[in-house]
Amino acid sequence: MEDIKAYIESGILELYVLGDITHDEKLQVEAMAAKHPAIKAELDEIERSMEQYAEHNAVEPDEQLRGRILNSLLTNLGDDSTFNKAEDFEDNVIALPASKPTNFYKYAFAACLALLIASGVALMNLYNKLQQSNTQLAVLQADKQHFANRVNFVENELGVLRDTTFRFLKLKATPKAPAGASIMIAWSKEKHKVMVDMANVKMPVNDKEHQYQLWALVGGKPVDLGVFDANPDSTDMKEMKTIAAVKTDAFAVTLEPRGGSVNPTMDQMMVLGKF
Amino acid sequence: MLALRNREKIAIEALYDMYSSSLYGIISRIVLDVPTAEDVLQETFVKIWNSFASYSTEKGRLFTWMVNIARNLAIDKIRSKDFKNQNKNQELENNVTFIDEQRNTVYNPELLGIKELVETLKPEQKSILDLVYFKGYTHVEAADELGVPLGTIKTRLRMAIIQLRKHFN
Repeated sequence: MEDIKAYIESGILELYVLGDITHDEKLQVEAMAAKHPAIKAELDEIERSMEQYAEHNAVEPDEQLRGRILNSLLTNLGDDSTFNKAEDFEDNVIALPASKPTNFYKYAFAACLALLIASGVALMNLYNKLQQSNTQLAVLQADKQHFANRVNFVENELGVLRDTTFRFLKLKATPKAPAGASIMIAWSKEKHKVMVDMANVKMPVNDKEHQYQLWALVGGKPVDLGVFDANPDSTDMKEMKTIAAVKTDAFAVTLEPRGGSVNPTMDQMMVLGKF
Repeated sequence: MLALRNREKIAIEALYDMYSSSLYGIISRIVLDVPTAEDVLQETFVKIWNSFASYSTEKGRLFTWMVNIARNLAIDKIRSKDFKNQNKNQELENNVTFIDEQRNTVYNPELLGIKELVETLKPEQKSILDLVYFKGYTHVEAADELGVPLGTIKTRLRMAIIQLRKHFN
């Protein structure tokens, strides 16, 4: 008890109430007050006295100040409640949808990506098929063109065969040519046309420097009817130069330098035929 | 008290009406410039309001807690540089009486006991109490100011407050 009395009389409680005390001392006084009711009571007494002393020395602040201060506090309060509300609101909002949209967008993104890849693969397949189809189409068109050409060609040939104005003549081998060499030609006086039936050119294959040249002997004079190659693969009816004469003595083929000559090289006459 | 904790409007108004004049009495004795003192009073209430959660009844009376906030804010204000520069020409020593004379007219008429009270306190008790309570001096500064030993200051403070207790009871 003596200690407590001394503690009270030390004046520290007064300093405590006056706020003139270090933080550590403050904690110490609070601890002592909590432990000893007498100290607590003494503190309370001092506080009351000081409070009353302050009341006795009170100065009424300006009336307008009341409104100003209360308004600033209420604005503060308003801010606080808005802020709190907003916080609550945010809490509510964040808790649920925050993860939801993230997942949604994640999945949506993944789905888009998968779809994109799938589309890409499908597109590639489609593109390849299109390429194949195009190639096939090109082949088919080429085939079709080929067959159309072929049909035209065959029709032409058939036309030659059907045309009664054409007359066929087999040019037979001269001593110069190998035995059995022959060429079939068709001639239409009316149409001034001469054709060589390449399927029936039974001649030695000519080399690069030479070509066979067809001549017509009109009134004893040779008339150039154009050149051709003896190719075992060709089967068409080759149309030669037009012939104006309606009467010929004979047709002959000579071996000439490539491109043909103006006058036939008589010693190279391979085949000859007369109507 | 509960209303204060729950931050209700009515609580602030009650708090202001109950304590503003007592707090302002202290603030206006520390901060002599009226607009600045009013600012400090406003800051005090804002701080009381915002840090009310940190007050607990176990630590003492609400008024003691509020006075300490008010006094600290007021002292911070007069020690801040710009304020010092503003008020260089004012003498500190005689402020308490100066203020009392200056504001006699605004004193609450119901607090007429003041004269009587002043007579209860011996002059040396009153000067030390006022220096610490109303001027924001620490007891060490007060000892310097009055040229008396620290022990004497503490004793006088205690005696002054005991006198007050007798007077009020």
